[in-house]
Amino acid sequence: MNNTAQQPSRAELDRSRARRSTIKKYYIYVVLLLIVAVFSVMKLDQVPLFGRGSFLSRDSIINLLRTAAPIMTLSGAFTLLMISGYIDLSVGSAMSLNAVVFAFMVLNGFSFLPALLLTLLLGVVLGAINGFLVMRLRITPVIATLVTLLLFKGVALLIVPDGTSAVKSTAEQTMPGWINNYARQDVLLGLPAAFFVALLVIGILVVVQRKTILGKYAAAIGGNRTAAELSGINAVKIVWLLYIIVGVCAALAGVARASYMSLGDPLSGDGMELACIIAVLLGGTAFSGGEGSVAKTMIGALIIMTVTTGLMTVIPAYWQTLAVGTVLLAAVVLNHLLVREKA
Amino acid sequence: MNAKLTHESAGASAGKGRKVSNETFITLFMIAVLVLVFAAAGLVVPNFFLPQNMINILTNNWFIVIVGIGVTFLLVTGNFDMSVGGVIALAGVLSAYFSQGANVSQNPLANGLGLPYGLAVILALICAMGIGGINAFFIARLKVPSIIITLGTMMLARGIAQVVTQGAQRNTSLPSVFGVIGTIAIPSTSIKVSVIIMVVLVIAAVIFEKKTVPGRRTYLIGANSQAAWLSGVKVTKHLASLYILSALLAGITGILLASEFKAGVSSRATGYEFDALVVALLGGVSINGGRGSVLGMFVGAVILSVVTTASTGLLLSPDWQFILKGAVTFFAILAQRYALERRKV
Repeated sequence: MNNTAQQPSRAELDRSRARRSTIKKYYIYVVLLLIVAVFSVMKLDQVPLFGRGSFLSRDSIINLLRTAAPIMTLSGAFTLLMISGYIDLSVGSAMSLNAVVFAFMVLNGFSFLPALLLTLLLGVVLGAINGFLVMRLRITPVIATLVTLLLFKGVALLIVPDGTSAVKSTAEQTMPGWINNYARQDVLLGLPAAFFVALLVIGILVVVQRKTILGKYAAAIGGNRTAAELSGINAVKIVWLLYIIVGVCAALAGVARASYMSLGDPLSGDGMELACIIAVLLGGTAFSGGEGSVAKTMIGALIIMTVTTGLMTVIPAYWQTLAVGTVLLAAVVLNHLLVREKA
Repeated sequence: MNAKLTHESAGASAGKGRKVSNETFITLFMIAVLVLVFAAAGLVVPNFFLPQNMINILTNNWFIVIVGIGVTFLLVTGNFDMSVGGVIALAGVLSAYFSQGANVSQNPLANGLGLPYGLAVILALICAMGIGGINAFFIARLKVPSIIITLGTMMLARGIAQVVTQGAQRNTSLPSVFGVIGTIAIPSTSIKVSVIIMVVLVIAAVIFEKKTVPGRRTYLIGANSQAAWLSGVKVTKHLASLYILSALLAGITGILLASEFKAGVSSRATGYEFDALVVALLGGVSINGGRGSVLGMFVGAVILSVVTTASTGLLLSPDWQFILKGAVTFFAILAQRYALERRKV
């Protein structure tokens, strides 16, 4: 009796759920297109950053993609971690530290490849530290990564010589000019090597998330860690590995940022954790883990880059914080409306 | 019955026949740590035991202690408030903007609304509580993870402060009364009114926490919010009030700091959310909820103060402060857990 009474409402529920899932699938592309459209209409001629013409000009798109390399790399790995229900607030500090160490090595005569490899190694170590605190010492992820946020930032600040704001050319040492090549020199279509490395990493992460056992395990752990462990998944090992992947991506992002700015700025990664969270939430990954998509996070990352670089051209810089904060809250609301229900 | 239940939950894992609850145990433990750190600092740092230095150590961190009260209560319920630093800046900037003279200068940063200082303060506090309200809505009502929302409202609050000050500060054409409350001190001492406000607020918070029904309910929510809800505690409403309270305390801090420096600075209190969290964790607040105390947080603040004063005394570069805070928090968490585990055996 109760069943028959519920019958029509259930059909309606299914329909609304289907509609909701369609919206959920495509809304992010619409949002990106809308934002691009808005900025394209605005007059950007007078703005020095974009130089000639509109937002959709070749130069401005290339510039956007060049600066987007760090956040795209980082938020891709961040997605995997959030799918498994964990978080890493230290990514910004880790990126700064990697940038500083990379710049420091280049300044002291290392050539590109050894410096890159050693920075990647540092990334592995930083990720492993986070993994150790969270999975071995079982400190709550937020607290553990806040501690490492402070530690990494402190070390980065200590490496920078007293009285200067960054690792850069001094009276005694000059930063080699080639540090710029990785993130600025035209390799193909006007885009630098850093961008293609980012694309490659994202490609790998998308495959890892969709096609490999690591991606499935991450989702299983995020969905229900106890159930995942009972069915034989070694959650400690998997999440630890994910933290290391985030660490490696932070290293890549740091190298790209140091190369782009041709100096090692210990504050360059500040706010990166928020940018990553925004990208991941816009991409429809659930707060609590269990589902999400690396590919969609990339669209989310492009949205933030478009908004921040686009806004910089039309309003004074001191609106930036408010704009990013508002985008974050908007992303949370969108995410809440569309993702919260688990089917 | 409710009172009995909360009382038991506080001392539940303390074992039978023990008189001291886990909270008190951790507070005592951290006081012992404080004594050790203090003695160690006194041995290596010259002139550390001077009376003036002691007073400084106890009173230096008044702003962290005031915001720490709200952050502690929220941590006890298992929630974060990372927006306090932004709210401090917002309240300070707004109190300056509202009380600056209207149409007095060509410079837009010198023109305010020309309201009386008292009204300006009240309005600034209301705006601060508005940020708390946003936190409350998202976290208590929509059940969004608190860390994400409060990081967002931190940017929102600081963003508004930056827009109002055009990324700088408002420090001209302020009424003379603006700089009074933050600077006057008890005659012939260096103790400021802000410190007295801190002491009053800490005492009030301790009474609230130990002796009132809403205070104990805070712990019940943190220990098991489902159980709290089933036993009739209005969890959503309670959490919402705590967020608004936390924002109000941050607002008071912001107004006092703005008055002390006679300026509303948009970059004021950057990173204070970390400091508030660090002192709460040092004082034995558990993020898993249900454990912690304001008194412990105060001890934590003094420990942090001893450590930073000692590092300055040893002429370490200010860059060390991040590493010190990180390391101290890390070891405090491990030490507290170890002590609690040993206690259960």
